[in-house]
Amino acid sequence: MAKKRSGSFTRRDFLKTTGAAAVVAGAGPYFLFPERAQAQQKTLKIAQWSHFVPEYDKWFDNEYTKAWGQKHNTNVIVDHINLTEINARAAAEVSAKKGHDLFMFLSPPAAFEQQTLDMTHVYQEIEKKHGKKIDLAHKSTYNPKTKKYFAFSDSYVPDPGNYYKEWWAEAGFPNGPDTYDDLRTGAKKIKDKRGNPCGIGLSQELDTSMALRALLWSFGGAEQDEHGNVTINSKATIEALKYMKALFQESETSEVFTWDPSSNNRAMLAGKTSYVANAISVTRQAEREHSPISSHIMVCKAPKGPVRRIAAEHVMDCYVVWNFAENKEGAQQFLIDYIDNFKQGFDAGKWYNFPCFPSTVPDIKKTVQNDPAADPPDKYKVLADVLDWATNVGYPGYATAAIDEAFRTWVIPTMFAKVARGDETPENAAKAAEQEYKRIFERWK
Amino acid sequence: MAVTGVPPATVDAQPPRPDESAAVRVPWHRTPENRAILLGIGMFAPAVLFIATLIGVPFVMAFVYAFTDVKVGSITSHYVGLENFRSILQSPSFRKALVNSFIFTITSQVLVIIGATILSTALKDRFRGRGFVRFLILLPWVAPISLGAIGWKWILDSLYSVINWVLVALHFYKPYSAPMWLGEPQLAMASVILVHTWRLLPFSTVIMLAGLTAIPKDIPEAAQVDGAGFWRTLFQITIPMMLPIIMVAVLFGIIFTFTDMTVVYVLTAGGPYDSTQVLPSLAFFTGILAGDLSQGAAISLFLVPIMVAVTYVMLRLAYKSEGA
Repeated sequence: MAKKRSGSFTRRDFLKTTGAAAVVAGAGPYFLFPERAQAQQKTLKIAQWSHFVPEYDKWFDNEYTKAWGQKHNTNVIVDHINLTEINARAAAEVSAKKGHDLFMFLSPPAAFEQQTLDMTHVYQEIEKKHGKKIDLAHKSTYNPKTKKYFAFSDSYVPDPGNYYKEWWAEAGFPNGPDTYDDLRTGAKKIKDKRGNPCGIGLSQELDTSMALRALLWSFGGAEQDEHGNVTINSKATIEALKYMKALFQESETSEVFTWDPSSNNRAMLAGKTSYVANAISVTRQAEREHSPISSHIMVCKAPKGPVRRIAAEHVMDCYVVWNFAENKEGAQQFLIDYIDNFKQGFDAGKWYNFPCFPSTVPDIKKTVQNDPAADPPDKYKVLADVLDWATNVGYPGYATAAIDEAFRTWVIPTMFAKVARGDETPENAAKAAEQEYKRIFERWK
Repeated sequence: MAVTGVPPATVDAQPPRPDESAAVRVPWHRTPENRAILLGIGMFAPAVLFIATLIGVPFVMAFVYAFTDVKVGSITSHYVGLENFRSILQSPSFRKALVNSFIFTITSQVLVIIGATILSTALKDRFRGRGFVRFLILLPWVAPISLGAIGWKWILDSLYSVINWVLVALHFYKPYSAPMWLGEPQLAMASVILVHTWRLLPFSTVIMLAGLTAIPKDIPEAAQVDGAGFWRTLFQITIPMMLPIIMVAVLFGIIFTFTDMTVVYVLTAGGPYDSTQVLPSLAFFTGILAGDLSQGAAISLFLVPIMVAVTYVMLRLAYKSEGA
């Protein structure tokens, strides 16, 4: 065997030395500075949508999460996802059992219940300070069968009407349509006189789904009852379908079949449509861009139907903490602290998100009466009593996984669209929808 | 004892010891035959790995899912036999998507083959700017499909359609009565088919061009000498000789079309009211977005027997025409 030369450095020596150095470098601080090792910074990863009001994201990313992170010695990472990609991303995270600690959905994620932490504790902690949550939050995040809160809801977004002031005044409705009869009469007059169509969507997308549910409920129809039994095939549903057919044929164009969630915003801001059902993102965008049309677009309550005035929340913020999250405690604490500071978020989002804990914005009814940024300043006053006419998807029951599948496979928009175009009678469409609902409900039993 | 490749002088000077004869034996992986085998394995391995991980594993998972009650958030799942298939057959959306998949595929493939035949015939001969024209034609295939589809979405948009703007500017339509390309069921299906055709045309054209250039020139020249005109040469000589390659183009086209959901997803999301819904998009909406994984898997598995049958028939036809 060759004798090792003095002063030479073999490959084995190199590996030994570097290996030892790596061990010392890695473990050193734990022996030398144990307090520093204990205080090692944690990470909290949050995924949520790109907000329709960009100012909210600026506040959330650059101010609130930074301040919270410093206070809790946590590096908060916020990833924004396009709203149409949220569920696909969630499915990927669940499949990989890896991802964000806190994941925000825009609709009740009941299908993911088995993969999420029970949020009862979070609700309880917050209710000690801020009082009871609204029923809308309860119905959207609670499974009565398993007695589990599969998500936590901090806020909801109202879904009022947006109308072109001068045209509706001309048609005899200076404050916009108050009832569905007003909507039909006024929209027809405007279309006949000016050619501008009404913009209640009939497409396979979010805004359409909400607007048509509002119409259905206002006429007394519903997808299910309080106990989760399918009730879509009813006289009330058929009346709602007849109404929509008349509204479409008298006052709309086929463009409502093509829409995505932002199409009605664009149509309204382009001065094309006379009325859309949407959140206040339409008017906020006009204000942000100092668009001349801003002073022409007004906000009204969701129209009243023959039975009631009611509308779906436009979107429902629902945070979940995955069972496989790496920082479960941090994620839950973040939510508890976030509600303490909800008023800041309410203002940063230009009142887009309304609180699920009303006491966090105590003067909300007074606040919305006067917004200096709006033209006129009392544009948003109709939102003062929004809780009286806003409800959850699945009303009058809970937002279950079956309701979510029906929502995401567009059963309601398909039913309305077929009737509106005359491809199906209201009776047959309601019957077909009933079969589809029963089939879906059967799968989630 | 002489050893191949070793100079005799060296052998004479230092006769090899018995154990040294093993040392000069060529290792098994250095023999020409084994080297070729190893090279073959090495070159096949990436493709096999790629197919196994990105196609094989998901396929097996889809197959397993389709016979269980697994949902997107499930921790456990149970065998349910054919229940998922029974359920989707009751769904009007599924039945519509199945029919639409055939309409979408067959129509777009007919258009692609006609267009590719015309283009490849036009591009086979030399002319000034041929390279540039070929580059332009290839662009839709080179550009990412999602980018192209988004471009078309704006071209066909209800509010900002440049086509409608021109039609209104030329007074063919009044401002609010221009065609809603993605809003009328027939127009929407036509739009989806045309955009997909635009996307696939370059691929088929390139395949056909390769086939055309492989035809010996003396055969069509002889036909011309015998008095055959352009059409007769095209239909009785060129196309029959190209049939095997046309079959390959059609086979790829059918597979790309049947399994594609990008164009539909971006342009219409299956609307208006499912009139452009196809099986891949319905599987995505049901399995991923709505969380019913097992049903989404069952929908996607419906494609498999269709694809297998189509592939078998096309390859048989190609084989027969090649033999002929």
